[in-house]
Amino acid sequence: MVTFAITGAQARAARLGFCAVLCLAVMSCGGGDGGGASGGSSSGGGTTTGSNVVSVVVDAGPLPTTNAATNTLFTTVTVCVPGSTTNCQTIDHIQVDTGSYGLRILSSVLTLALPVQTASNGEAIVECTQFVDGYSWGPVALADMQISGESASSIPIQVIGDPNYATVPSDCSSIGPAEDTVAQFGANGIIGIGPFAQDCGPNCAAAVIPATYYTCTASACQGTELAQTFQVTNPITFFATDNNGVIIQLPSVAASGAATVTGSMTFGIDTQTNNKSGSQTVLTLAGSAGGSAGQLPGELTTNFNGGILNESFLDTGSNGLYFNSSLTTCVESGLTDFYCPSSTENLTATLEGQNGMSTSVAFSVAPADTLAAADAAFSNLAGPYPDAQDTQTFDWGLPFFYGRTVFTAIESAATAVGTGPYVAF
Amino acid sequence: MIDLKLSALASAMLIAGFAPGIAYATLGEPEASVQADVAQLNGSIQVTDRSGYRLHEIQLSSGTLVREFVGPDAKVFAIAWKGPTIPNLRQTLGSYFDNYVTAAKANHLGHTRLQIQQSDLVVQAGGHMRAFSGRAYLPQAVPSGVSVGDLH
Repeated sequence: MVTFAITGAQARAARLGFCAVLCLAVMSCGGGDGGGASGGSSSGGGTTTGSNVVSVVVDAGPLPTTNAATNTLFTTVTVCVPGSTTNCQTIDHIQVDTGSYGLRILSSVLTLALPVQTASNGEAIVECTQFVDGYSWGPVALADMQISGESASSIPIQVIGDPNYATVPSDCSSIGPAEDTVAQFGANGIIGIGPFAQDCGPNCAAAVIPATYYTCTASACQGTELAQTFQVTNPITFFATDNNGVIIQLPSVAASGAATVTGSMTFGIDTQTNNKSGSQTVLTLAGSAGGSAGQLPGELTTNFNGGILNESFLDTGSNGLYFNSSLTTCVESGLTDFYCPSSTENLTATLEGQNGMSTSVAFSVAPADTLAAADAAFSNLAGPYPDAQDTQTFDWGLPFFYGRTVFTAIESAATAVGTGPYVAF
Repeated sequence: MIDLKLSALASAMLIAGFAPGIAYATLGEPEASVQADVAQLNGSIQVTDRSGYRLHEIQLSSGTLVREFVGPDAKVFAIAWKGPTIPNLRQTLGSYFDNYVTAAKANHLGHTRLQIQQSDLVVQAGGHMRAFSGRAYLPQAVPSGVSVGDLH
């Protein structure tokens, strides 16, 4: 995800121009590996600890020199061959994504031989995972997974880019470019912990959907229906008790950016003393069947600048705030899909759930060409949303999560304040 | 402009009776390319006349709605989609697909945004797992009087 590619000269200029603030930002955000808030400016209420809490970090990613990441949230997971406590591997720079569902690991970083899930005819189950910008192809394997003190046994995960399954079906590659390497993917893997359980869900169980699941022999693949039990699934749903959702807590980020941001991801909502719902506003999301105003699963409404954006979403996997407005875009090569107002714009919007509850959100848009290229985290990076629905969407990416504690409850899962799918903050 | 005045139902029946095999229309190609094998799609198709263009709507089995826009010259000038899956873009973009892939790699904006702005091809797509939307159109082929804002 080289979403913030700046040419060498521009990067150097940006670093020079912002060295002073950059260094301050590094000092205020650096250090601390236990999920701390920086500079006491977080509204998240300080450090959360416990056996259901794992550290998350925003940094330059797994390839900092060649593919530096921007506003990308990572964590570390351990996977084991099912049933083994020794045949295990701990993998860092797994992207934390509330916009997808399931654990996926790039084959090139995986040293374990995980068993591939097979269909009743004995053939391997292989998945074509769709992203807006391309596809990831690879088998569905079974693994035991540990993250913090949580564990899940023999869960279906995807191994992306497995050379044993090198032939990509035509209808899968018809999505767009392949994203089967760490450089293409932007992470060593991804842990999809959004508000749904399966990556496809009932659609793929009921019919053969092109460019989703396949059964493959050594030489050929064909599309298949796949029961939800066998689909790649949000790993949280397998945890013994903390299985109804997740809380992501990140500190605020200085306006000038930060090289590193460390926060926490807490599993479960209202299942332990450290994950209780408070006075957060609960905004329910469109469910698997969609919303009442044509929304797709997971969407809510944003009221912004006089418009009603019914197809909005919160997504740690988006690295900016993306929405259409009259703000000018940057002219510099590599930045033309970001905003460059003449000075920082301070704006507000109102988020509204399917349940009619709403809350106001303030945010800032800085000129993207003034942000230090050496940094990885920016609270004020924004750009236009490629809105094919014409101003129906506000994509609240990772900047939204800075300085907040955001609850995400999984569809049909109950908490003390409601039933998912919802977000609360 | 478009002199065929068929009800959506009649159009669907007419098109379903055409030769099977092509699931989608193709960008820049004649309207005949929209002849769909509805059975193969496991979906349904509707055709309606709009001001300045004719709209073909194909409901895919995944739940995704594909819209194909045909101009007065009887050629497809735009494709739009919305739903849980991305449609087959090799088929819908036709001769523009390779260009699309090359441009998507060159302007990599992450897993949730895609923007290609060329003189002869515009592709805009966004979303995330289970929720995708996008469109591709030929800016020079958009009929006069048709707003790009209507192409969704």
